Amino acid sequence: MLEVKNVSKSYRSNTVLTDVSFHLEQGECLGLIGESGSGKSTIAKLILALDRSDSGQIIVNNVDFSQLKGRELRKARRHVQVVFQDPSASLNPKLPVWKSVIEPLENYPEASPSFLKEVRNEKRKMAEILFEKAGLQSGLLDRYPHQLSGGQRQRVAIARGISLQPNLLIFDEPTSNLDVSIQAQILNLLKDLKSEINMSYLFISHDIATVQYISERIAVLKEGRLVDLFKTKDLFSADRHPYTKELIDAALE
Amino acid sequence: MSAVMTLTKEIATEKENEKDALFRTSPVLEIKNLSISLYEDKGGEEHRLVKKLNLSIRPGEMLGLAGESGSGKSLTASAILGLLPKSLSVSEGQILIRGQDLLNLSEKEMGHLRGKEIAYIFQNYQDSFTPFIKIGRQLVEALRSHDKISKPEAKKQALLWLERVKLPAEQIFSSYPHQLSGGQLQRASLAAALMFEPVLIIADEPTTALDVLTGEKVLDLLAGLQKELNCAVLLVSHDLKHVLKRTDSMAVMYGGQIVEKGATKSLRENPRHPYTKLLLKARPILRYTALEKFAAIPGEPGLIAKEGCTFALRCPLSFEQCYMVPAMQPAGRFQWTACQAVDREKVDTNA
Ligand SMILES: Nc1ncnc2c1ncn2[C@@H]1O[C@H](COP(=O)(O)OP(=O)(O)O)[C@@H](O)[C@H]1O
Ligand code: SF4
Ligand SMILES: [Mg+2]
Repeated sequence: MLEVKNVSKSYRSNTVLTDVSFHLEQGECLGLIGESGSGKSTIAKLILALDRSDSGQIIVNNVDFSQLKGRELRKARRHVQVVFQDPSASLNPKLPVWKSVIEPLENYPEASPSFLKEVRNEKRKMAEILFEKAGLQSGLLDRYPHQLSGGQRQRVAIARGISLQPNLLIFDEPTSNLDVSIQAQILNLLKDLKSEINMSYLFISHDIATVQYISERIAVLKEGRLVDLFKTKDLFSADRHPYTKELIDAALE
Repeated sequence: MSAVMTLTKEIATEKENEKDALFRTSPVLEIKNLSISLYEDKGGEEHRLVKKLNLSIRPGEMLGLAGESGSGKSLTASAILGLLPKSLSVSEGQILIRGQDLLNLSEKEMGHLRGKEIAYIFQNYQDSFTPFIKIGRQLVEALRSHDKISKPEAKKQALLWLERVKLPAEQIFSSYPHQLSGGQLQRASLAAALMFEPVLIIADEPTTALDVLTGEKVLDLLAGLQKELNCAVLLVSHDLKHVLKRTDSMAVMYGGQIVEKGATKSLRENPRHPYTKLLLKARPILRYTALEKFAAIPGEPGLIAKEGCTFALRCPLSFEQCYMVPAMQPAGRFQWTACQAVDREKVDTNA
């Protein structure tokens, strides 16, 4: 459902991505690991069409995003949503969180997520269902972002991320700022949601153990190049790239 | 020299040696019954953020302080350094360095100890150096402020230490802080911390802001140099991985209290406190076959019971008595666990 083909990107003289290619099947989770500055977030930005690649293609559901403009691009974007490390990035501090959660649905009235069919156009009910899916109590609907804990805010961002039932949900270090106990809760939630709503995930993280838990395949990015791509069950295979092995070594206790 | 003088001198050296031997075996740092409080206003309500904390570290020992955010790890570290925020104060207890209570020292005396006898590195390595002044000059000035040595001698020492932390010494010496990468800066701050050969190093989340591989290298260095200097290290980290991998002993904090402590090996293999157990299970670690599901710890780190066991509001095993003060219970020679259920031998190893 997603195909990234020979994508390169530079900012001024700084080459960030060099000839990156990978694909994602419907319903699959691909983990993308690499250290800071390796280009992980740039890949996310390009797939979200927040920026354009210098060369190569990004194809979502057989549509080449890099060819789209204006209204067409806006329409296509709805199928790809994102959850960032810092949930505040997607939550309006001046709105009660339930309004932020259904905002994408207001922007794309044509979207009709199957799990919201029964309550179409009843905004608050839609928010309630999304809250429930993200494991949030409905008592928190009217809170403002600053009145929630970090874990609760991240759940709100997840509720918003799934609201359009996107084909692809991108996570950029979604649990890196969270405490271990909250991290475990969120990862369990993401795993459940994926099978429940049938989305594909691109899960970006610097933590190989987290990625092992959530992904079916893993891609390794180093200095803008994809150096390794493999099935998670082959993580410990002798064929791994030396850099992947280094990351594995560092993660073992 | 008269015979009497020689004799007095001999006695003095003997005493010194005795003292030395004592230092080698007795703790470098001993914290006794330490509480840290926030007072709303003068005479106002007291909030105890750290409660009756006891721990000690011996020369050559690395002790890890673990626990999720807000558990009081950094406050404990700041108290040892005499760097608590102005609004907070130590409300009871002692912090002994080689038997001397730091809480009885004047600001000036403490200032002299800090940076020399007790060194520190923090998560914000950017703050270890003043911007716009070359690293070399800062190291030389620091050395000369504590010891009476000439500039060339100080430069020689600074270069030596930059080498010991595996940096290109000459180049770093004449660089400004902003010209260094995060990993290089953290190494340089390690050099700055170690060059006085301190007896104790406080490292508060030293790798949290670094990449995985860079962070591992910084910890490798710290561990190596600690061996050479035989100093004590307090490693504060919310990341159990570092604590388990690096330390000899560890203490797990929750809600301002130590809930379990002991030899790291012993806690890892046989955790007894429900919180330690759950933390060990909830964290993502590489496994040969990935887990299906993490053991979830209910609730959030901010849920702290005011009376009794601080973990009671989240504990799957809590019962009435837990809301009374839990005593530190010996659970074998190398482990102490503050849990009523352990006391009653109620803790199921699979909890
Ligand atoms: N300057 C301060 N004023 C008031 N409360 C503080 C201050 N610093 C820390 N605290 C509180 O003390 C508790 C312990 O904090 P801290 O030692 O920073 O935890 P940790 O390092 O384990 O994350 C937290 O509840 C925190 O909110
Ligand atoms: S004392 Fe009670 S509440 Fe606290 S950890 Fe033990 S069983 Fe749980
Ligand atoms: Mg801290």
